Amino acid sequence: MLEIRNLSAGFGKVDVLRGIEFHVEAGELIALLGPNGAGKSTLMKSIIGVGIHHRQGEIMLDGENIIAASSHDIIGRGLAIVPEGRMILAPMTVEDNLRLGATRLNRSQGHSLAEMFEYVFDLFPRLHERSDQIAGTLSGGEQQMLAIGRALMSAPRILLLDEPFLGLAPIVVQEILDALTMLKEAGLTQVLVEQKLDIALALASRAYVLIKGEVALMDTVKSLAARKDLDNLYFALASVRETEEIS
Amino acid sequence: MEDFLELMVSVCEAGSIYGLVALAYQIVLRPTGIINFAAGEWAAIGAFAAVSFITWWKLPLIIGLPMCILAVGLVGWLTEVIAVQPLLKRDAPELSPVLSLLGMLIIYRETVSSVYGVDNLFVPMPFGFGRVELGSIAGTSQSFFIIITVVFSFTLVWLFFERTMWGKAFQAVAINRVAAALLGINLRLVTAMSFAIGGAVAGLAGVLLAPITSVHFLMGLPLAVKGFTALVIGGVGRVEGALLGGLLLAFVEKVTIRYAPIPSGLALGAPFLLLILFLLLRPSGLLRARGEQ
Repeated sequence: MLEIRNLSAGFGKVDVLRGIEFHVEAGELIALLGPNGAGKSTLMKSIIGVGIHHRQGEIMLDGENIIAASSHDIIGRGLAIVPEGRMILAPMTVEDNLRLGATRLNRSQGHSLAEMFEYVFDLFPRLHERSDQIAGTLSGGEQQMLAIGRALMSAPRILLLDEPFLGLAPIVVQEILDALTMLKEAGLTQVLVEQKLDIALALASRAYVLIKGEVALMDTVKSLAARKDLDNLYFALASVRETEEIS
Repeated sequence: MEDFLELMVSVCEAGSIYGLVALAYQIVLRPTGIINFAAGEWAAIGAFAAVSFITWWKLPLIIGLPMCILAVGLVGWLTEVIAVQPLLKRDAPELSPVLSLLGMLIIYRETVSSVYGVDNLFVPMPFGFGRVELGSIAGTSQSFFIIITVVFSFTLVWLFFERTMWGKAFQAVAINRVAAALLGINLRLVTAMSFAIGGAVAGLAGVLLAPITSVHFLMGLPLAVKGFTALVIGGVGRVEGALLGGLLLAFVEKVTIRYAPIPSGLALGAPFLLLILFLLLRPSGLLRARGEQ
């Protein structure tokens, strides 16, 4: 469904991603893991086409290369993102935020705005209760629900989530985990960027581990969970890469 | 008292024009962050369009006015295509479009002077020279036409921003361009539309102003300065701020000229004292954007 071939990208003259190979099939939830600065968020930006310079490679969506497409075109093709740091429109109401999430809603495929509101409010009833509230006055957890709900308003086929659990209280983490599980069961394809292995392993079927802008490992979650070095996975993989680079 | 009320009509007339030019600045500035000093030239082009359509081709106001507005809207859109978009595509430094638009200002002025010449031109008063009296409030028919048209225009623009999805998309881009792009809002289209609508609004100011002043190729710069001053006074964040700023600027200007015991040349500087005061004491202007602390 979404396949990345030999992608290199960066900011200005600095390369952040090098030779990335990555794919996700329809209905899959895959995790993109790695320590801080590994290039996970940059890869998300690369896919969605915002604020990044592509050097080489291909980003194939349903067999079509979208590497040169604009972000509004990419979102119109069925991708949506819950960005790092939520990026809600703080001075606007919850309802306006959600409504703007539906900017690229494909009504020709039978989706209506009312149906999308119902869908999001069923998933996060708290957003319904607070629909007239200014988004900036929501709690951190509610803002994250809004960010996810807003991305869902465009009825995406692939949802990219960039560290959606960062800085949230455990009870909110569980609420969002439940929501993502429901979306997975409903067949929504998801790519989850996460630093914490336990969360990723609970949700994903496969995982990619990025180290210093390169894919250091791709494996099923089952195999990953069975690794003896799981507690120090990033460190172990980084050491292996350094050894490879030296030799 | 009657003299003061008549002065207030004159304040509302001038303030409406300044407010429109301020609104043209604001419509471009909010979603793009670009201060477009060519807004005054757009107003001048509106006045020259009125010379062509209304004076020379003798089109009735009901046809000539929308044609002028459309023409300057087109100029606004072309300005974006020529002077702004290529810079944005290349991630040029933030100030580049401002400088590029200053260049366009010169190009517009020189083009207008070579097409229309350097002599004063005139546009007829659409409703003649008659006076309108509403109780003790009196003024020329053109003054009331300007005030009514401007109130109507501001209402339309306000409704666009507050009640339509397109307006909300403009606001989203103004709040956070990256977040707006991630929602699928077409930044390129919003930028182009902001220049086209800004051009149309400035063009309207020029058409309304043309019958009460002579149309001259140098008329754009004073309008650009007054419009910018009104924008600073009223605040960038809200549509009604532009009108409020224009009215306050016109009030200070007219009252100082009429009543202050100083030479009129010095009195003309009073609005700029107001500008400096606002920049020092309340740089966000009278009205802040909603949600802004």
